[in-house]
Amino acid sequence: MASWLDYTINGLIVGNVYALVAVGLALIFGVSRLINFAQGSIYLVGAYIGWVAVVQLHTPLPLTIIVVAVAAAIVGLIIERFGLRPLQNSVRIAPLLATIGISFVLDQLVMLTFSPNPRALPSQLPDVRFQVGNGTIGPLDLLIAGVGITSALLLFVFLRYTKLGWAVRATAQDRDAAMQMGVDVNRVNQAVFGIAAALGGVSGMLVGMYYNQIDTAMSLQATLKGVVAEVVGGAGNVPGAVVGSLLLGLVESYGVAVFGTSYRNLFAFLLLVVVLVLRPNGLFASARQAPPEPLTGTFIAPSRPVRIPRWASVLAVGGFAILPLLPVSFYVLQTLINAWLLGMLALSLTLVAGTVGQVSLGHAALLAIGAYTAALLSLTFSVPVGLAIIGGGLMSAALGTLLISPSFRLRGHYVSIATLAIGEIVSLVILNWESVTRGPIGISGIPPLSLFGYDLISPSSVYWFSLAVMVVLALLQGRLLTSHLGRSFRAIRDDDIAARAYGLSLNRYKSLAFIFGGFAAGVSGGIAAHLYSYINHETFNTQQSILALTVVILGGLGNVVGAVLGSVALVGLPEVFRIAAEYRILIYGIVLLLLVRFRPQGLLGTI
Amino acid sequence: MSNIDRRSLVKGSLAVMMAGAAISRSAFAQSSEPILLGVSGPLTGPNAQYGAQWRQGFDLALDEIHAAGGINGRKLAYQFEDSQSDPRQSVAIAQKFVSDPRIVMELGDFSSPASMAASPIYQRGGLVQFGFTNSHPDFTKGGDFMWSTSVSQADEQPLLASYAVKRLGLKKLAVLHLNTDWGRTSRDHFVKAAKEYGAEIAVTEGYIAEERDFRSTLVRVRDANPDGLILISYYSDGALIARQARQVGLKQTICAASSVYSPKFLELGGEAVEDVHLGTRYFPEDPRPEVKKFIAGFKAKYNGQEPDAFNAYSYDAMNMAAAVLRIGGTDRRAIRDAFAKVRDVSSVIFGSATFDVESRRVKGAMNAELVVRNGKFALWDGKPT
Repeated sequence: MASWLDYTINGLIVGNVYALVAVGLALIFGVSRLINFAQGSIYLVGAYIGWVAVVQLHTPLPLTIIVVAVAAAIVGLIIERFGLRPLQNSVRIAPLLATIGISFVLDQLVMLTFSPNPRALPSQLPDVRFQVGNGTIGPLDLLIAGVGITSALLLFVFLRYTKLGWAVRATAQDRDAAMQMGVDVNRVNQAVFGIAAALGGVSGMLVGMYYNQIDTAMSLQATLKGVVAEVVGGAGNVPGAVVGSLLLGLVESYGVAVFGTSYRNLFAFLLLVVVLVLRPNGLFASARQAPPEPLTGTFIAPSRPVRIPRWASVLAVGGFAILPLLPVSFYVLQTLINAWLLGMLALSLTLVAGTVGQVSLGHAALLAIGAYTAALLSLTFSVPVGLAIIGGGLMSAALGTLLISPSFRLRGHYVSIATLAIGEIVSLVILNWESVTRGPIGISGIPPLSLFGYDLISPSSVYWFSLAVMVVLALLQGRLLTSHLGRSFRAIRDDDIAARAYGLSLNRYKSLAFIFGGFAAGVSGGIAAHLYSYINHETFNTQQSILALTVVILGGLGNVVGAVLGSVALVGLPEVFRIAAEYRILIYGIVLLLLVRFRPQGLLGTI
Repeated sequence: MSNIDRRSLVKGSLAVMMAGAAISRSAFAQSSEPILLGVSGPLTGPNAQYGAQWRQGFDLALDEIHAAGGINGRKLAYQFEDSQSDPRQSVAIAQKFVSDPRIVMELGDFSSPASMAASPIYQRGGLVQFGFTNSHPDFTKGGDFMWSTSVSQADEQPLLASYAVKRLGLKKLAVLHLNTDWGRTSRDHFVKAAKEYGAEIAVTEGYIAEERDFRSTLVRVRDANPDGLILISYYSDGALIARQARQVGLKQTICAASSVYSPKFLELGGEAVEDVHLGTRYFPEDPRPEVKKFIAGFKAKYNGQEPDAFNAYSYDAMNMAAAVLRIGGTDRRAIRDAFAKVRDVSSVIFGSATFDVESRRVKGAMNAELVVRNGKFALWDGKPT
């Protein structure tokens, strides 16, 4: 029994740490209905500013906190002013993407300035330990708890009893009405971003001191856990975020207690999915609360797509098809093979995210399912590679649709969060289900691509094969979109209430979209597995999902040609910037930001 | 698109290959250019720190190689391509290197998915993939162009087990390991050896690389009541575990794999890593001349910074590459054959390294039993802690 007390205490301690990020996220979501994926980066910046203050300038703790808070707040204000405010009349998805771009840029800047090596961030508090249960807690635990709870309380008071706080809440409820009533919405946004960033920076510093370690990889993890905690508590609900964080910490700790360490994150993400499905507004949403996503047609940019004449598409495909006959290097071919594989994934995502409006952040899971199925089929059961790849596509279609189906009732951001969680769950299941997936060792010795007994080994043949598969999938999808199915999909995206009133069964159509999309992604994963010959749980990761989403938005949501064009651009750009070595991801982030700023509907526009 | 027959596939690839061969002949005519190695590794992304450490080791080795007259009078250089340890990028880099006639050999990649996805391309392209951190047991099975100086865990873990069980007298062990291909393979070898030496394995816990909070894991460990903790970790997570173990009140002996051997381990772990035991391949006061030269050279080049395990791996790898090139010249196949011929290359990790031609790996890593004393790595004096 004593151990349960320890697990509880440990859960609360780590929940405490999550709360610091979650509160900042909740505040921003409350006002701007935006999941700020850059919050983890501000946390990172805060940690490193803290390091400069403590190690280089030897500031005492209170001064360190002030320095970090002010500096982080300034970063937050800059983000708001130059990254997000220009997008406020743009579509809802634009700021979401902008925060992803900003987080790339900030993380890279920190990495370039401070080198990627982890650093020690010594705690400035006296090293006394208090015995609790069988373990001990230190003053930093108390300080972190204090900062978390105090900031949540202060924010609560601020939102409820001050004029600016009323303005913040009014803006959160109805931005246009608030503006009509004379609320300076920009000032509200500024205030919120400043406060959230200050909090994020200070929390990064405190957590760095807590672990005596800061490194550039802490940003994404902080964002992920923060988002989970925030959504569990109810997006936009500040006290809820604190409770959600503690709950998350407890669930993880008990999960470790019962099943072991390698299942830890599985429980975090399962908790999220369960909460989303049962109580989509979070555990602490009141019944009277307006649905947080009054989304009908606001998430996706309405625009006039660029018409690509048929002869131009045919010419482009023909041009790419004869490329291997021209004197181009295998490197160019291999890069384009990557683009075609990403293109299949993008086709899949552009269908579910663009055409049906289910913006998925966990699409790499479909790749992984397809890849593992195809690899195991051809390796264990000696199925011919071509059939194994089709098997991978079918399995991805079936399993992907099954996994996502509980979240069909969700909308807008919540779909993204649920798919993010499902993606993580799939990856963790692959890691832990050793009897089938061989766990962390991965699957090696996957036979090369072959078709009707002929091995496709030369880069040119792999190139033609992947191009052909992608073109076929693209043609099928184009055909699908012009049929009545395509119109129904778009009707659901643009106004699901109207679509329902018209008699469309939402779940059935969403399933259809995921079945088709899952197949395309699974085929892509299956080809990749046979191309790489080795895969493990890290081969298809979250970065891949984010990349796919970027491609889709770059090309124009729902736009088939756009998805292909976007894939070529986003596989090509980092290769073109290769000359810039360490700077290339920074440049990539900036390009992404500029695109979102100046062409949020994508290069070819939404269909 | 679908009616492309096999003949045109072959014709197309032949055309490209012939174009490549034509370029390669002209490039080797002039020999004043440095001999170029390709390096595929992470410079950005989550593993960027290891790419930065590789560079330090490479650059030091290159300075020494050039001071000694280079490769038969020619300079040696490397082209570092950032893969982010991502298989998608490492395969593109592989094609880039294979089709660049100036590249005579490739080093890397860092992670197994990135390295082994690129292996078929190197194998078919006939370019040596020299993976010096690739401990995955299947890495060198990719083909006869895959060679590795990564210490085989089948070699390393019994040494650690012997240190923990025979020398330190630990009888009931808790093993915490990174849940990656490296950590898993290491754990299995460790557990097997430790059992052979008569120890009992009380609990094993695998954790993912991004994990930072180990307090609940450590409660599990405590409840299993071991008399020693074994960390199969890198230095950053190893330091985190040691700190939190002390915070939750675990006072058992901690014994760690050589991958924690880094000044960063001491910096990040602080007082908590005092008395941590670790088996390493070399140590600061090592009397071996190659180690003295490496440590002195490293400190002189990098402002007194102490080298760590990854610096040593890359330093050794560059020296090995130079030794191979001295025998094999600049022909890619001759270089592959030279790996089987090269003998007794001076090495920080192996003392002197010779490849086992069967496994294409080097056996018999050096072993030193260290302990952290007064915030420094020191040779263990045999006294209990």
